[in-house]
Amino acid sequence: MSTFSDASGVVAPLPKIRRPTGFSGVVPALAFVGIFFVVPVAILLLRSVLEPVPGLGNYAQLIGSSTYLKIFANTFIVSGLVTVISLAIGFPVAWALAIMPGRLTSVIFAILLLSMWTNLLARTYAWMVLLQRTGLINKMLMGMGLIDQPLALVNNLTGVTIGMTYIMLPFIILPLYGVIKKIDPSTLQAAALCGANRWQCLTRVLLPLAMPGMAAGALMVFVMSLGYFVTPSLLGGTANMMLAELIAQFVQSLVNWGMGGAAALVLLVVTLSLYAVQLRFFGNQNPGGR
Amino acid sequence: MKTTFAFAAVAAFVAVSAPAHADNMVFSSWGGTTQDAQKAAWASPFTEKTGITVVQDGPTDYGKLKAMVEAGEVTWDVVDVEGDYAAQAGKNGQLEKLDFSVIDKSKLDPRFVTDYSVGSFYYSFVIGCNADAVKACPKTWADLFDTAKFPGKRTFYKWSAPGVIEAALLADGVPADKLYPLDLDRAFKKLDTIKSDIIWWSGGAQSQQLLASAEAPFGSVWNGRMTALAATGIKVETSWEQNITAADALVVPKGSPNVEAAMKFIALATSAEPQAALAKTTGYAPINVDSAKLMDPETAKTLPDQQTASQVNADMGYWADNRDAIGEKWYAWQAK
Repeated sequence: MSTFSDASGVVAPLPKIRRPTGFSGVVPALAFVGIFFVVPVAILLLRSVLEPVPGLGNYAQLIGSSTYLKIFANTFIVSGLVTVISLAIGFPVAWALAIMPGRLTSVIFAILLLSMWTNLLARTYAWMVLLQRTGLINKMLMGMGLIDQPLALVNNLTGVTIGMTYIMLPFIILPLYGVIKKIDPSTLQAAALCGANRWQCLTRVLLPLAMPGMAAGALMVFVMSLGYFVTPSLLGGTANMMLAELIAQFVQSLVNWGMGGAAALVLLVVTLSLYAVQLRFFGNQNPGGR
Repeated sequence: MKTTFAFAAVAAFVAVSAPAHADNMVFSSWGGTTQDAQKAAWASPFTEKTGITVVQDGPTDYGKLKAMVEAGEVTWDVVDVEGDYAAQAGKNGQLEKLDFSVIDKSKLDPRFVTDYSVGSFYYSFVIGCNADAVKACPKTWADLFDTAKFPGKRTFYKWSAPGVIEAALLADGVPADKLYPLDLDRAFKKLDTIKSDIIWWSGGAQSQQLLASAEAPFGSVWNGRMTALAATGIKVETSWEQNITAADALVVPKGSPNVEAAMKFIALATSAEPQAALAKTTGYAPINVDSAKLMDPETAKTLPDQQTASQVNADMGYWADNRDAIGEKWYAWQAK
């Protein structure tokens, strides 16, 4: 393929063009992914089937124990809950950002980003102080006479959901904003002119157009939630322990890397399958495009 | 936190640029005020005496320690760990044998000396109480488990470690000398009776916050945290009734590049004066029997080693042998 002949039979060399495509172009990227992702995961996989004794004992123990299954279930319930609530709060905010005057938008963006950049541990501790029985929120509600017993807002599912949703909101608002901003307002005008009421405008025009952003944001929040550690550990009770905390216990405290590896691998497989599902349904749509 | 990161960065830099350099060694501990105190009481005099710089690192992480030893890339020379972990890791071949020709063990409390570890300091799980927030403070473990007499939330240590299980058994009437082997089923049954009233603390600062805010006005906490809390002006009461002792331990990871310096460091850290100096600032007891007479009586009074009347020793050997099995049951019970 390095030469071709024209009608006159003269052989002319092909001009050499370096292309970044093809296999050689992706070698550095592959090497990076290989060294920093595939190798550690492979080691983890090996440990999970070799320690403490070779075999699938760790996986059998993980799947056979109601405790671990409950922790898996908790992880998905919390992540699902956080995703749904983040979407419910994030969508109106993203929509408002997209249609607001520029100055106000930048103020809200600043608030969003500043909260994202504040130390995670500090934010989590702040919620702990706000939500506890003797905390600001309970004291305020009691002072207003709305409740006479403090509400259990922390060290349980409520606390984890509030804390995690707060932390995840920017991750859903930013991609959604990108998508909504690109929706041509005239499509909504057109819908209205054609007789659609507000509800129809929302459900039949706006939501479908924003779908790729919602899917991308929701998946990101869900997947990030699956591996969340600090917030559930501090704001949650032990009854809704999440997987990351269990893995940390296996690895750091009990030094049982076999079980830790097995749990981590199950989490990874679930995450990748979710990603595959998302690609299957939304992969051909370019978020931010039309 | 910032300083920890800075130290970590320095440690990483040192590890990369000058492996096995004789003029420095790395000490890893749990961070916070305890490590600050260890730095002041141990590392500074050590550097003065030997010229060996002690780089501070941390927090201690057993997973990381194991990874270092297995990879043969040990960057920690002396590590402050929990006693039961030290016993287990020693058995598993992850620690260097200590050189008792350098470390004088004749003056060390024999409860905290093994072939692979010596005590770092020792602490007690005591019953702490915010006296401003409640009418009466629980005095015994049975009180702490009595929700009728002492209604409200109580706080306990979240992780599977010596302390809570012992407290539950003592509260249930098991005599202190019959605690081991631990009757786990009985302990969990007892814990079930107060499960919905427990708020777990996962770190010392959190236990202080819970007590101080009266979120959980009483509970089982490390005695040093009560000392620190009292210093803030909150009216706290500490009950030493059947205080449960456990010790941190100093160990040298297998393959440490500075074993010699590490032994010298441990020798100094466990000698009478540095142990006394640490006890003064932390409220944790010295493991050197000669330290007590170097402290003023007021301070000495508040330390666990003066509270031996009804003291209960957590059996680190038992915990080392059963760490994994207890851990599994512990998390299963917690998640239930």
